[in-house]
Formats: sequence, C-alpha cells, structure tokens
Amino acid sequence: MFDVVHQLALGFHHLLSVDNAAALIVGLIVGMLVAVLPGLTLVMGVVLALPFTYGMGITPSIVLLTAMYLSGTYGGAFTSILFRIPGEPLDVPLLWDGYTMARNGRPAQALGWTLLAALWGGLITAVSAVALAVPFAKFALRFDAPEYFAIVLFGLTGAVALGSGSVTNALVSLCIGLLLATVGVDPTYGADRFSFGVPILTDGIEYLTVMVGAYGLGEVLARMGQGFVTAPVDGGGKIETSLPRWRETWRLRATVARSSVIGVLCGIVPGAGATVGSFIAYGVEVQHGKRRAQMGSGIPEGIIAPQIASTATVGGHMVPLLALGIPGSGATAVILGAFLLHGVQPGPQIFQNEAGMVYTIFASMFAAVIGMCLLGYFAIKPLVKVLHLPEAVTSAFVALFCFVGAYSARNSITDLWMIVIFGVVGYLFEKYRFPIAPMVLGCILGPVAETSFMTSMIAYQNDWTIFFTRPISGTVMVLIVLALAVPCVSRLRANHRARRATAVEAGGG
Amino acid sequence: MVTDRLKAIVPYAALLAGAAFLYHEAGRFAYAAKPGELGPDVWPKAILLLLIAVCAYEIGRRMLFVRRAPKCVAATETLAADAAEPVAAPPSAGDAARHPYRLLAGIALTVLYVLALDVLGFFLATALYLALFMVVGRYRRAGVIVATSVVGSLAFVFVFMKVVYVSLPLGTGPFQAVSLWILSLLGIH
Repeated sequence: MFDVVHQLALGFHHLLSVDNAAALIVGLIVGMLVAVLPGLTLVMGVVLALPFTYGMGITPSIVLLTAMYLSGTYGGAFTSILFRIPGEPLDVPLLWDGYTMARNGRPAQALGWTLLAALWGGLITAVSAVALAVPFAKFALRFDAPEYFAIVLFGLTGAVALGSGSVTNALVSLCIGLLLATVGVDPTYGADRFSFGVPILTDGIEYLTVMVGAYGLGEVLARMGQGFVTAPVDGGGKIETSLPRWRETWRLRATVARSSVIGVLCGIVPGAGATVGSFIAYGVEVQHGKRRAQMGSGIPEGIIAPQIASTATVGGHMVPLLALGIPGSGATAVILGAFLLHGVQPGPQIFQNEAGMVYTIFASMFAAVIGMCLLGYFAIKPLVKVLHLPEAVTSAFVALFCFVGAYSARNSITDLWMIVIFGVVGYLFEKYRFPIAPMVLGCILGPVAETSFMTSMIAYQNDWTIFFTRPISGTVMVLIVLALAVPCVSRLRANHRARRATAVEAGGG
Repeated sequence: MVTDRLKAIVPYAALLAGAAFLYHEAGRFAYAAKPGELGPDVWPKAILLLLIAVCAYEIGRRMLFVRRAPKCVAATETLAADAAEPVAAPPSAGDAARHPYRLLAGIALTVLYVLALDVLGFFLATALYLALFMVVGRYRRAGVIVATSVVGSLAFVFVFMKVVYVSLPLGTGPFQAVSLWILSLLGIH
C-alpha cells in the first residue's frame, strides 16, 4: 500500500516535466474537441493522434492518448444537453434527462450535474485503476500459455458479445480481423500465408492501417455518402455551468454508488466499455432508482448515472491493458498500439520494469480528471464553437490526417493504399452494420492468440482439453461461454416480449 | 420479398465464398512440417471454419426465419428500447448512402490523391485534394476552400517535415521544384 502511494507520488513528480504536462493539456483539449464534434468519434480521435506520438517518448505518448480518452467521455455531454446532438454514442442517454432539463429552462444546472458526475466518475476510475492494476498483474504472473490464450479469447469474445448490434456480425468482424493478422510470413515456420505473391502482403498487414482506414476514412466516406447532413446549431445562447449544492448531491448517493460500480465493472470486462456502461447505468436507474417513475423528465439521476458510468470505465479498461496487455475497447486498442510502436509490451512485467511510466500514467489520470472539469467549467463556450465548422471542411482534414498518420509510420505509399482499402472496408462494414471494433481487436490480438495457442499445443502434446482442465483457463473458458450466452438469452427474451406484445395488441384489436 | 431476402444475404454469401477460397489456399501453404506439431495452416483454418459456420447460419436464418429486416438486439439496444424517450442520435453511418455518386466521387478522389502524391508532391496533391474534397462534399464558399486548402497543406508540411521529421513526397520534375520552393519558404532544409 505504502509502496503504491510512494510510486504514485513519484508519478505526479514525473508528470510535472514539460513533455508530460504538455501532452496532458493537449490531450485534454483535443479529446474535448473530438467529443464535441459529431463527425469525429472518440476512437477516431485517438487513432488520428497516434502518429503524432512517433516522435515523442513513451510516457508522454500514453499520457496524451489517455487524457484524450478521459476527456472524450465528458466532452460530448455538452452538445447532447445543449443542442440534442450526442457527440458520441455514449452520450445518447444524456438526451433523455440532460436535454430535457435544459429544455425545462435549467441548462446550467444540467451542465453542473454533468461536471460533478464526470469529476466523480473520473476520480473513481483513477483510484480503481491504481488499486486494481497491481493485484491484477501479480495474479497474471501465474499465467502460462493456456491462461494467456483463454484471457485473450475472453477479450475477443467480450468485444463480440457486449458490443452494440448483432452478435453474428460481430463474430464475422472478429474473424476478419483475426485473418488479417495471419497474412504474411508465419513466425513459427516462416511459411508465406495469404500473400498471393504480392510483396506488400508478404510483410503482413499493419494493424495501424486497419485502424486508421476503417475508423477514420471509413467514417468520412460514410458521412460523404450521406451528404454531410449534420444540422447547423445555434450556439449563440448563454452557456453557463451551475454546480449543485452538497445537500442535493448527498441525496443521490445511491445512484452515484450504483453507477460507479457499473462503470468500473464495464471497464474491466473486455468489450463492454463506456457506451454499454452508460446505457446500463441509465437502465438500472429506470428499473431500481428511487425516482424511477420520473426518469426522462429531466431529473439529475438521469444525468449523473450515465455520465459517472461512462467516465468510470476508462480506468477499468486501463487495468487489463496494463496488467495483461489486453485492450478491452477501440480506444485502449490504440493505446496498446502506441505501447507497441515504442517497443513496450504491456503485461505483468511492466509493473517491475517500467513502474515509473505506469505510475506517471496513473497520476496523469488524476490530473486529467481535474483538468477536464476545469476545462468544462471555464472553456466550454469556445470549445462548442467548433460545431460551427462546416462538416465537409473538417472531414477533408480528417481524411488527410488518416493519410499522413499512416504514411508517417513507415514512409511508405503502399500503406496509403492499405488505408484506402480499409477505408472502403470500413464504409462497407458500417453500411452493412458490421462493427469495426472486433476486427481491430482481432487484428491486434490475433498474433498473441495464435502464439499462445500454438505454444500450448506444443507444450501439452496437442491436447486441446488443457484449456478447460487448468483452473484459471477453465474458469475463463466458462466466462467466455457465459459472455456469449447472455446476449443470446437477452435476445430471446426481447423477441419473446415483442411476440407477447404483438399477441396482446392483436387480441385487443 | 424474395429480392429483399437475397439482398440481405449477399454480404454473407460473398464472405462465405471468400472464406471457402481462403480455406482451400490455407491447405497449400508451403512449409517444412515438424513431427507431432501443428502446422501454420491450423490457426487460419480454424478461423475460416468459424467464419464459414457463422455466414452459413446467418444465410439460413435470413432465408428461413426472418420476414422483415433483421432486428438485432444487444445490451445497448434493449436498454434504449426500455428508455422513456426515443433516441435522437446523429445520422448513423449505417444508413443507406443518400448520395451514392458523391460517395463514389469521394472514393475516386481519394484513389487519385494517393496516385498523385508521388508525381505532384505532398503540398500540391494535398491542396488539390482538400479543395476538391470540400467541393464534392457540397461546400461552396470558394474563398474558404482556397484558404483552408493552401494554409492547411502548408501547416501539414511544416508540422510533419519540421516538427515530426517525416519525409513527405516531393514529386517529380517541375512539381518537385515547387515542393522545394515551398520547403525553403517554410525554412525547411
């Protein structure tokens, strides 16, 4: 305990260096801007920032991306509440009570509740990351190849089972990502796989080009196909934040506690993430909150529940990323990419070999929470002005960022062709409602999954039951089955409810 | 009705066919087998089998059981349906493209940009790309288009060549001379 506090204090000290502090401030501002702009998603913003980290040290790089990630979970709340434009999917629940409160003539109060929720969710997420990461890492030191394979598989199935949309489409997306990771020369045998004699394929497909193309260019193309239709907003009104009183806040302690737990848990479970956390926290309030009957009428519970949960997921995501090297979301996949680009493999050893860096990242999370709230309180008016930028202009620059970002990695024009290909793939994925995140996670985690699977097979004489008979891997395998079964059961229940409602309507008619 | 069903299975049928082809290709990997150890084809084949199974399931489901457009229920959707008000999200990228020709023009423009980079150099190709992209995107204020394209391209050249030290393409022939002149203007040597 004392050691953790000591390391954290050193982390705060390291954070005061010019590089780290500048990365933190830039990350906060850019994260807010990205979240405010409806044409840019949080993950897309983090992807586009990645190339700028090539020339930076590893610590400021991760501080920059983590600050973007944290402030991105908060920035979209402003446009949801003030203009009914959710900057991110995770901000959608804020429309129901946040926008309604603003429409009822209390926009400053709505923004105040959001700020308080982001502050609490952020502090909880930072504390939980510090408290959970070391025990996680110590536990992970017991892992052998079968455990790693099971954990990676759990991360991948989590992305499939808990993402929004069809489980089948998510599985297809995951398979494509895993296949992309197999293209090129196989590390065990040196066999050429799926390159068909094309030199650029022999080197393998860089996951960076998959991420940037599918998330960045794909989204730009999709919006171009829609004709850049985001409605102009009237941002001329008075934008203020009014903080709630302590007595009002204390009354909501049960909501705060529930949403904090939901947020942290959704962060730790791979694939769940901020959007799922935000919806679940709102749903729990609708079902179990003291004022559940008034949900949707503009009450604070409907604002703080989703906001706390979405911000609280960030630290939860950082725990498996740092302790196991397994990203649970699109944004943490990009942060893992930044680690790998700098030659650092996150995992249990990182707490021994790179403790200074890890605790600087944790310290930056505390500082980022305070910084984003100050930014939200004092600088929201100029930030919201970015909504006046024409979408065609911002999209043109987003596309350019994609190209320059991918080109900077290896100074290779062939990577630009990959961006174009995966841009079109990303567009087709969105058109046919295949989620992109499983493909990206599959592409990044595919080599780890294959290596740990092959190592297990070699070590245990091709006995595949080893994944089920060892205590830790067996438990994780059971969790995988549950993760896949839960959405199927909820789907069956939803269909059953729909059939019953139809039958009642038909009977009544 | 039948046409709708066929349209709905097209992506899965294409993926299934692609997966079957790749499965066949995986059987032809050239490698020196080690006795008692799995080959480099096992992992990709396992993934391809899963992909084939999932696509076959979805095709069967859509052909036999789904009467309307499929409604997939996930955690977020279930909760959204339970919530008090309808979701007013921004236009989803999954919506059908309302401007297919504009989309095709955007893709063509992007392909041309990549082709032009080596010939025109980064500055000229980028300025043209940005300007044309805005025009294709239905933005019509000429002054803003020219100013943002030129200033934006100069800013990218400065940041990436002077700050991040990325060697951007200079182009060939007279275009290279323009790129070098721009670099000297920005104080990049």
